[in-house]
Amino acid sequence: MAAAIETRKLTKTYKSRLHGLINVVQDLDLTVEEGEIFGFLGPNGAGKTTTIKMLLGIIYPTGGEGFVLGKEIGDMDVHRIISYLPERPYYYEHMTGLEILRFYGALFGIKDEALFNQLLERVNLAADKSKTISQFSKGMQQRIGLAQSLLNDPKLLFLDEPTGGLDPIAHIEIRDLILNFRDEGRTVFISSHELSEVERICDRVAIINKGIIVRQGKLDDLLSGGRIEIIADDVSKEIADQVKGTTDATVSFHDGRLIVDMSDEQDPNSVVDSIRSTKGRIISLTPRRKRLEDLFIETVRDDDASKKKPAAVAAEVGGAQ
Amino acid sequence: MRPTKSKLLGILAATFVGQMALQVGAIQDFWKKNYWSGQGFAESLSPDQTLLQLFGFREFLAGILWVRADSFFDEGNYDAVLPIIRLCTILDPKQIDIYATGMWHIAYNFTDEEQRSDRRYIPSALALGKEGSRQNPNTYELFFETGWIWYHKIDDDYHQSIKWFRQAQEREDMLPARRNLLANAFQRNNQVREGLEHYWKLYAETAADYEKQKDIYQLFQQKETLEQNLDTMIVRMVQRGWLAQERGDASQTVYDTTEPFDVGFTARVIVDEPKVIRVQGTWNVLPVGTRIRIIVRDADNPNFTLAAMDWDGQNEVVLDPERDATYLQDQGFVKNRRFNKRIDMSKDPTMYPFSRKSENFLVEFYYNPRSASLHVQDKFGWNGEGMTDKAFLRTDVRKDYEWVPGEKNGKYTDGWKLQERQTPPARIVYTSLKLSRDQILRKGDWIDKTPIVQTSNFDASRFSVTTEDIIDVPTLRSSAPRPGANPEKEQEAIQGAPGTTPR
Amino acid sequence: MRPIMAIATTTVGEAIRRRVLLIILFIGVLLLSIIPSLSVLTARSEQSTMISTMYAVLRGTSALIAIILTIYMIPNEIERRTIYTILSKPVMRWQFLVGKFMGAVLALGLMIVLMSSVMVLLFYIFQQPSPERLLEVARQPFFYFLEMMLLAAVCIFFSTFTTPLVNFFLSIGIWGVGTVLSPLYSSIASNSGASPIMQSVAKFVTGAMPAFSNYDVKNPIINPGQVIENEQKYFIYIVLYAILYSAGLLVAGMVIFDKREV
Ligand SMILES: Nc1ncnc2c1ncn2[C@@H]1O[C@H](COP(=O)(O)OP(=O)(O)OP(=O)(O)O)[C@@H](O)[C@H]1O
Ligand SMILES: [Mg+2]
Repeated sequence: MAAAIETRKLTKTYKSRLHGLINVVQDLDLTVEEGEIFGFLGPNGAGKTTTIKMLLGIIYPTGGEGFVLGKEIGDMDVHRIISYLPERPYYYEHMTGLEILRFYGALFGIKDEALFNQLLERVNLAADKSKTISQFSKGMQQRIGLAQSLLNDPKLLFLDEPTGGLDPIAHIEIRDLILNFRDEGRTVFISSHELSEVERICDRVAIINKGIIVRQGKLDDLLSGGRIEIIADDVSKEIADQVKGTTDATVSFHDGRLIVDMSDEQDPNSVVDSIRSTKGRIISLTPRRKRLEDLFIETVRDDDASKKKPAAVAAEVGGAQ
Repeated sequence: MRPTKSKLLGILAATFVGQMALQVGAIQDFWKKNYWSGQGFAESLSPDQTLLQLFGFREFLAGILWVRADSFFDEGNYDAVLPIIRLCTILDPKQIDIYATGMWHIAYNFTDEEQRSDRRYIPSALALGKEGSRQNPNTYELFFETGWIWYHKIDDDYHQSIKWFRQAQEREDMLPARRNLLANAFQRNNQVREGLEHYWKLYAETAADYEKQKDIYQLFQQKETLEQNLDTMIVRMVQRGWLAQERGDASQTVYDTTEPFDVGFTARVIVDEPKVIRVQGTWNVLPVGTRIRIIVRDADNPNFTLAAMDWDGQNEVVLDPERDATYLQDQGFVKNRRFNKRIDMSKDPTMYPFSRKSENFLVEFYYNPRSASLHVQDKFGWNGEGMTDKAFLRTDVRKDYEWVPGEKNGKYTDGWKLQERQTPPARIVYTSLKLSRDQILRKGDWIDKTPIVQTSNFDASRFSVTTEDIIDVPTLRSSAPRPGANPEKEQEAIQGAPGTTPR
Repeated sequence: MRPIMAIATTTVGEAIRRRVLLIILFIGVLLLSIIPSLSVLTARSEQSTMISTMYAVLRGTSALIAIILTIYMIPNEIERRTIYTILSKPVMRWQFLVGKFMGAVLALGLMIVLMSSVMVLLFYIFQQPSPERLLEVARQPFFYFLEMMLLAAVCIFFSTFTTPLVNFFLSIGIWGVGTVLSPLYSSIASNSGASPIMQSVAKFVTGAMPAFSNYDVKNPIINPGQVIENEQKYFIYIVLYAILYSAGLLVAGMVIFDKREV
C-alpha cells in the first residue's frame, strides 16, 4: 500500500532582500503511512505551515518532489479526497455555520443538507445554527473548521495547529474528534507544538527545525528509555556536588533539597547511597517514561547547538537517527 | 482540466486581437461620429479644452458659469464674459442659448464711447455661430442667428445670410414668423424671383395647414400676413418695373426706376484734432433718410477690403480680435442733401489704435441701394437701377454671389459652394480718401496745419452757408405710364405656386 | 461551474456588506437626490443638465465602487487565509478568479440597478417625461454597467500582482485615460504634424487600452433629436468588446495568478 504522503528532498527557498536566499524547508524526506496520525513538530518558523502549503499546492516547491495519496502534489483529483484546516482560520464573517458548510460543500458539488446538519451536530454547533461567524468564539470557529474539513469524507486531513489558542476543554473536544478520525480509517497530518496533545494522539512524529527534519519515527521508539527522579531533603552541599557528577543527570539543589533527574541506564543505588551516607532523607524515587517535551527540547537544542555546521551535515545527522 | 499555459496565452492573444479589431474597425469611428460631444468642434480645441469637454459634470458646470456670466452682463463687465462664453460652449455645446447669447453679445455689446460697435469682433461672433450650428444641427436656431448677424449686423454680402437662412429653413422647428426673413434676404441680394417664390411656398404651406385646422387662430394670422407680404411684393414688382424687365418689355412703360437718378456724391474729410475727424459730403436725394456708410480703417491690413473686412475669415473660435487693427464703421445721415458728421476716435484708443501696422488710413464712403429702405428702393430699384452717380458709381465693388449646395469636403465646408452669379452687378456708390498716420494723429507736419482731403468734385461752397433749414424736395416720381402697358401679362407673371392665387 | 457560482454568490454576499461600499453608495444616492434641486441654477435646458449631472454622479460612484470593491478582493482572501481553504478544495485558481470576477460584476450590477432606479424615479418625479423618454434615460446605466464590468476586470487583473494601493491608482489612471481615449486618439491621428510612426504608435496604444469611452453614449440622450443609424449594431459591438476585453484580462490574470504564491 502506498504511503499517504511521501516527499523526496522537498525544498522551499525564499528570496529575502536582507538575507539572500533562505531555505525555509530543505531536502524534506517525509513518509506518512495511511491510517496513522502523524505529528509534524517544530518550533515557530520551522517550516511546518510551509510544508503543508506545498503539499496542498497552495505554494510551489523550489526543489524535490512530493506525492499525496499516490499522486503528484497539485493534482485536483486528490483535492476531492483530502482536506485542510489552516492555522488560525478565518471564514466569511457574515455567514452562519450552516452557510459556511453550504459554501464549502458547493465547492465539491455537495448539496446534502442532511450531511451539513449532521456535521454541525458532530462538532457540537447544532445549537448555534443562527449565529454568524462573527459571533463565534475561537473554539467554535475551530470546530466549524473541522466540520468543513469533513465535508468530503476525506481520506487525509491536514490540520495546522488545530488546538492553537483553545482552552483545555476545547482541547479535549478536538482531541476526541481527531481520535475518531483514526477510528474511521482516515490519515491525519497534524502540525503542532502542543506537545502533550501530540503525545496523546500521534502514532508517529517528525521534528523539523529550521526547515530540516531532525527526528522522525514511531512515538514509542522515540520515547523509549525512561528516567528516574530522586528527591531528597537535608542533603549537604558536598554530596550535592558529588551527585552532579553523575552522567546524563539533571541535578538541582536548593536549601538542602536535592532533585535528581537521571537516565534509568545509570544505577540509582549509588546516588541513593551517597545521600544516605550523610543523613540525607530520601523523600521519593520515581521511575518515569520519557516525555515528548523532553525529546523535543533535547532534539532542538542539540540541533541549534550544531547550527554552525553546514546545513547539509546537519541534515545527515537528523536523518541518521 | 487545468488549462495549460500555452493554451491560455493563445486565448489571450485571440481576445486581444479580437478586441482591437472591434475597437479600431467598428467602434471607434462610430462613437466619435455619434456620441462624442467634441465632434462639432472639428479639432479646434486644445488638449486641455478637449479634456474639459469630457468632464462629467460639464453641463452642470456650464449652467453655473452661465449664471455667473449673467451677473457680469449686469455689471457691464463684458470682457469678463468672453472667456466664460467660450468655457460654457466647450462644456455644454448643446446649450444653444449660450451660443446665441454669446454671438449677440460679441457682435453688439463691444462699443466705443459713442455706441459704435467694435466690428473687429464680428468674425468671432460668426465663428461661434458656425461652431454652434455644427454642434446643434438639429435645430434651426443657430443657423438663423448666424444668418441674422450677416443680415442685420454686417448688412452686406446678402448671399451669406441667404445661405444661413436657407439652412435654418430646412429645420422643422423654425418659427413660422422667422421663415419670412429669407424672402427679404433674397430681395436684398437682388434675387427677387426667389424671394417671391419663397413667399408663395410659405403661403401654400400655411394655407394647406389652415385648411386642415381652421380653429387655430395663429395659422389664420400667418396666412393673412403672408397674403399681405405677397400683395406688397407683387405691387412693388409691378411698380418698380421689375416684371416688365424680366419679360423684356420694360421700354413700353416709364417706371420710377427707369431714369437713373444722379445722386451727385461728393465728400471730404477734415482732421480737426488728433483722431477726431469731420466727414462731409453731398447726396442729392430726399431731405432725410439716407445713410452713407463711413469706414475708417488701416489701408494695408490684408484682412480689410473695400468697405468691409473678412467677416467670414474665422473658422475656429478665437474670442480675441486683431487688437492692433483699426476699423471704424459709422454712418452719415443725409439731411438737406448733405451729410456732416464729426467722428471722435480719440476716447477709445483700444478700439482705434492707429498703430504702426499701417502708415496710411482710408476713410471709405459706401452706399449700397440693396440695403436701402423700402421707399428709397421704390425709386432706386432692388439693385440700384434707378440710381447713378457721375463720378462714383461702381459695379466692381460688390459682386453677386450665391451659395449652391455642393459636396462636403474638408473640415469646415458644410456642403455649400460659393458661385458668382451671372446677373447685372450690384450698383454701388463708393469712394475712399486716404489719410497718413501723421495726418490723422496731427503729428509732424500736421501739428498746426489742419489736414483736409476731398474728392475732386467737392464743392465747399455748399457747406459755407447755413442752409440747414431749407427743405428741398427733389422730385423722384416719373410721369404717367406709357400707353401699351399690359396689366394682364403682369398678372400672369406673378403667378407663383400652381393652384394658388392670392385672393 | 458550481464552484465558480458558489464563489461568486459568496463574493456578492460579502460585497453588499462592505461598509465602505455602502457609504459610497449612500453618498451616490444622496448626490443624485440633491441634483433636482440644483437644476434651478441653469437657465434653460434644465432637463439636460439634470440628466447629465445624474449620469456623471452615477458613473463616478459606480467606478469608485468598482475599484474599491475589486482591488481588495484577492488580497483580502490571501490575508485572511480564506483562500487556503478554498484552494485546498477541488477548485482551480482560474475558477477562483472567475468566481471572484463574476461576484464583483453581480454586486456592481445590484448597486448600479439601485442607483439607476433612484435616478429614474427622481427624473420621473421632477420632469414627468413620457414613458419612451424614461426608457431612453434608463438606457445609459446599462452601458455604465458594462463599463464597470470592464473596469472590474482591469482591477482584478492588477490585483493578481500588485498591492491594493498601487492597484487603486493604476486602475483610476487606466480608467481616466480610457474614458478620454477615443477623443485623444482622434486629436493625435488628425494632427498632421505627427510623424507616421507616432501615429501608428498612437493607433496601437488606443487600440490596446481599454476604451471606457465606448460606453459613454449619453450625448444623444441628454440632447435629444439626433438620429443615429445602426445604433443597435453598435450596442452589440460594445457588449462584445466588454466581454472580449474582460475575458482577455481574466486570462492574463490567470496566467499570473497561477504562478503566484499566496
Ligand atoms: N512568503 C515568504 N517569504 C519569505 N519567507 C517566508 C514566507 N513565508 C514563510 N516564510 C518564512 O518561512 C519560515 C517558516 O514559516 P512557516 O509558516 O512554515 O513556519 P511554521 O513552522 O508554520 O511556524 P509557526 O509554528 O509559527 O506557525 C519562517 O521563518 C517564515 O518567516
Ligand atoms: Mg505555522
